[in-house]
Amino acid sequence: MNALVALCHFCELHGPRTLFCTEAVHPPSPDLSSQAGVPVPGDRDRDGDREGEGLTMRANSSATQTGEMCEGCRSLPVSHPGFVSIDDETGIRFLSHQHPRQSQLFSVVRQACVRSLSCEVCPGREGPIFFGDEQHGFVFSHTFFIKDSLARGFQRWYSIVMVAMDRIYLINSWPFLLRHLKLTIQSLQSTALKVFDSEQGVFPQRAMRMNSVFSPAVLPHQRNGNAARSLTSLTQHPNLWASLHSSFSWLLKASGSRLTEKLLEGAPTEDTLVLIERQTEQEEEMSCWEGAEGGGSKHHQTESSLSHDFLCDHLNDLPGPKIRSLRHLRQVLGVADFRQLAWHVLMGNQVIWRGADPGLIQSAFTELKSLLPVGCVRSVPYSPQYEEAYKCNFLGLSPDVPIPAHVSSSEFSVLVDVTSEKSCQVSAAGDDDICTMYQFSLRSANTQPTDRGPSLLNKLEVALSNENLSVDVVSHCLLCLKEEWMNKVKVLFKFSKVDGRGREDTQKVLALLGATGPGEEDNVRLLKYWMTGLSKTYKSHLMTAVRGGERSPSQ
Amino acid sequence: MSIQYEVEQLADSYGVADSFPKDFGYGEEEADIEDSPAPSDSKPRILLMGLRRSGKSSIQKVVFHKMSPNETLFLESTNKIYKDDISSSSFVNFQIWDFPGQVDFFDPTFDYEMIFRGTGALIFVIDAQDDYVEALGRLHLTVSRAYRVNPEINFEVFIHKVDGLSDDHKIETQRDIHQRANDDLADASLEKLHLSFYLTSIYDHSIFEAFSKVVQKLIPQLPTLENLLNIFISNSGIEKAFLFDVVSKIYIATDSSPVDMQSYELCCDMIDVVIDVSCIYGLREDGSGSAYDKESMAIIKLNNTTVLYLKEVTKFLALVCILREESFERKGLIDYNFHCFRKAIHEVFEVGVSTPRPVGPQAVGSPCNKAVALNGTPRSTV
Repeated sequence: MNALVALCHFCELHGPRTLFCTEAVHPPSPDLSSQAGVPVPGDRDRDGDREGEGLTMRANSSATQTGEMCEGCRSLPVSHPGFVSIDDETGIRFLSHQHPRQSQLFSVVRQACVRSLSCEVCPGREGPIFFGDEQHGFVFSHTFFIKDSLARGFQRWYSIVMVAMDRIYLINSWPFLLRHLKLTIQSLQSTALKVFDSEQGVFPQRAMRMNSVFSPAVLPHQRNGNAARSLTSLTQHPNLWASLHSSFSWLLKASGSRLTEKLLEGAPTEDTLVLIERQTEQEEEMSCWEGAEGGGSKHHQTESSLSHDFLCDHLNDLPGPKIRSLRHLRQVLGVADFRQLAWHVLMGNQVIWRGADPGLIQSAFTELKSLLPVGCVRSVPYSPQYEEAYKCNFLGLSPDVPIPAHVSSSEFSVLVDVTSEKSCQVSAAGDDDICTMYQFSLRSANTQPTDRGPSLLNKLEVALSNENLSVDVVSHCLLCLKEEWMNKVKVLFKFSKVDGRGREDTQKVLALLGATGPGEEDNVRLLKYWMTGLSKTYKSHLMTAVRGGERSPSQ
Repeated sequence: MSIQYEVEQLADSYGVADSFPKDFGYGEEEADIEDSPAPSDSKPRILLMGLRRSGKSSIQKVVFHKMSPNETLFLESTNKIYKDDISSSSFVNFQIWDFPGQVDFFDPTFDYEMIFRGTGALIFVIDAQDDYVEALGRLHLTVSRAYRVNPEINFEVFIHKVDGLSDDHKIETQRDIHQRANDDLADASLEKLHLSFYLTSIYDHSIFEAFSKVVQKLIPQLPTLENLLNIFISNSGIEKAFLFDVVSKIYIATDSSPVDMQSYELCCDMIDVVIDVSCIYGLREDGSGSAYDKESMAIIKLNNTTVLYLKEVTKFLALVCILREESFERKGLIDYNFHCFRKAIHEVFEVGVSTPRPVGPQAVGSPCNKAVALNGTPRSTV
C-alpha cells in the first residue's frame, strides 16, 4: 500500500506542525514505480505539477520551521539520521524522520496536518475522521489529547494521519487503522497521564495560575515561556520515537498486506465464450486425432488456420492491396453496394467473393465478419470449388469457379465478382487505388428492399459516413451496437425459445426491445439469425437456470 | 453602598437552560453549527483575530458564555476557527468567529476571501501587556487584506488586558498603538480604512462596553432605537436608559446622553442580580420555566436616592433605567410611557421579521418612516 503515516501536533507557539513521519520506500523496480498511488520515490514527473502549490507550502513552512522550532514541534534533531526498517520479503524500506524525505510529499503531509488539526472537526473532538481529494491525497486522521500540566487548558492537541492516494483502500482500512491507532494513542495517553498526575501532585498548576494572575510580579507575561514541551518529556518515554517508528511501520506493512487489489474484468462477452468453446472443441478433436495415428499433423494445420481465421491476423502476410476498414470498403464498393452487402451479411445470407487476389478477399471478409458476433461466422477464405451455404456464410472463390444455378438464383446469397482492370496489372501500385485496379460487381437474386433496416446497420452507416469519427471510434461504436443487439438476442432467446411464449407476446417483447418500426422485418431476421451465434454455455446455462427457477417456487 | 432591592414578579421566571444554553466545554455545539451551514453562513460575522494568546477566546467566552474571567486561564489554545452562533439565545444576530492565532489564514490554501466576504466587523485583539510590535505588523497585514476583499467591514482594535496597566500607561499605549497603526496604513495609502480603538479587559466591564459599540455599529435600526430612548427618558424624568441584550449584557442602544462607565456597570450588575435571583426562586418545582420572560421586571432602590428600573422589552432585550427617587414617584407615568416604548420597539423589529431578516444595513428605511406615537405625542422620526 502506498501510504504514509505521520504524527502531527498543534503547537501553542507555531500552530499545526508535523512531528514525525513514516513513509514506505519501494525498491527501485519498474512495475512498482509505475503503480499509481502515492507518488513513488524517484517519480520525478510529479514534482513538476505539484511545484506551484508545493512551493508556497514549503516556503512558508521551511522558513518558519527551520527558523523557529520549539521543543514541542521537534521530534528528532536534524543531526539524527532517522529510523529505517527493511521488510525482507518485499524489500520495502520504512523510513521515519521529522519530515518526509521527498519534497513533493512534504506539502501533502503539511496540508493533511493543517487540515486534521485546524479545519476538519471530529464531533467530540477526539476521534477518527476522513477527508481529502484527488489532488492532495486522502487522509484518515485520528485526533487526540495528551495531558500536559503546563499547557493552556492542561492538554495538547495531537493527531495521527494516514495519507494515501487510494480513497477506496483507505476507507476499507478504516476499522483496521482505527483499532490499531487507538492502541498506540491509548498507550501514549496513559503514560502522559501518569506524568501529568505526578507533576500535579508536586506542583498544582491550577492554584499556581490563579494566584499568579493577581500578583503583579509575574508581569509582563512570558509569551514564549516554556510553553512547548516535547512529547518525550510529556510521556517520559525515552524510546518514544523508536517505538512510534516500529508501530507506524508495522501499520503500513500490515495494512498493505491486509488487502490486495485485483483487477476484475467484468463478465465475458458472448464472443469470448464462443471462442473459448471453439478452442476447447479443437483441442478435444486434436487429442482424438493424435491418439489415433500420426496423420494428425495435417489436421493441425487446418485447425491453426481456422483459429487464425478468427483472429484475422494471418492475412497480412499475403501480398497485394487490402481493405483496411469498413469505411474503406464502403469507399471501394460505393455506398449503395456496401449497404446491400452489409445487409446480406447481417441477415445471414451467404456472401461469395470471387476473384484472383485471395489477400484482398480475405481482408474484405475480415471487415465484414466484424459486423457479426463470432458465433455467427463460418468462413472459407479461399476455395477451389463452391461450398454449400450451411458450411459457410463467407466464401472466397477463385475467378473461374462456376456458381451452381440454385445458388445464383437464390435470394439468400450475394455474389461479388472482383475483376482486374487490364490496364493496371502492377500490384505494387499501393492500397489507395484498389478502385483503379479492380472492378467490383455485386449480384443477388434478392428482391427485398435493403434500405429499411436493420436499425443496427442504419446507425452504423451514420457513423461510417461521419468523417469526424476516426476508424477506431467507428469500430468501438460497432462493438457497442453489437453488444446492444446481442443483449436483445438473449432476451428474445430466453423469451421465445426457453419460455416458449406465443407470437403475440413475442411481438410485445420486440416492441419493448425497440426492434419494431420501419425496419422491423430486418430487425427480426437479424435477431433470429444472431440467436444461432449464442454460445452453448449461455444457452445451456439459461436452460438449466430457468428450469431450476421454475422448479423452486413450486417446491 | 448597601443595596435594598425588591424583585417583583418572580413568579414564573428563569430557566438557565433557556437563556444560557451553552456549557463551557464546547463539544456538541460545534457539531450543530457545522451541520447547518446554510442558515448560519447567511448571518453577518464578527471575526476575532489577533496573535496567539492575546485573549480572543477569553473575550468570546466571557461576553457570550458568562464564563468567569478567572476561568479563562484554563482555556486551551484555539486550534481552529470556532464559529459561535448565539442568535438563538441573544438579540445579537451574528456569528462570532474565533480564530487561532497560530494559523496564518492568508496562506493560499485557505480561502480568506470567503472568510471576509460576509464579515460585518473584524475585531483585532492586541495584548497590551506584551510587546505589541509583532501584533501591529499582523494587524496591518490583516486589515489591509481584509479591506481589499471587503471594504464594508468595520475594523475594531481591542487593546486588551489593560487591567494590569496604570491609567497613564493605558492612555500612552492607546496613543502609541493608534499612531503606529495609522502610520502604517498611511504608508500603504489606505487612509480610507478606519480603525476604532478600545481599551478592554475581561476583569471589568470595559470588554462589554467595547463589544456593545461594535455590535451597535452593525444594528441598522440603531438611530430609531436611540430616538425612542431619548423621547422615553425626556418624558419620564429618567436620567439614563439602556436597551440591553440580556444574555451578553451588551447594550444595543442608549439615549444620547454620555455613557459613564459606572452607570453601565450598575445596570450590568442589576441584570445579574435579577437573573440570578429569579434563577434560584423563579423556576417551577420541576425546574422548567425561564429566568427571563414577559413578566420579568425589577426595581432596586439604592440608598443614594437612585432607583434602578428593569423591564422586559422583547424575548432578548431588557430596558434598564437609572432615575432619581423623586421622578419615581410618578411611577404610573413611567409605566405608561414604557408601555408605549415597548410597543414602538416591537413595531420596529416587526418590520425586520415581516420583511426578510434585518441582515445588513438595508433594513433601516421602513421603521424610521413609521410615525411612532409615543406618550400621546405623534412625531416624525429622524
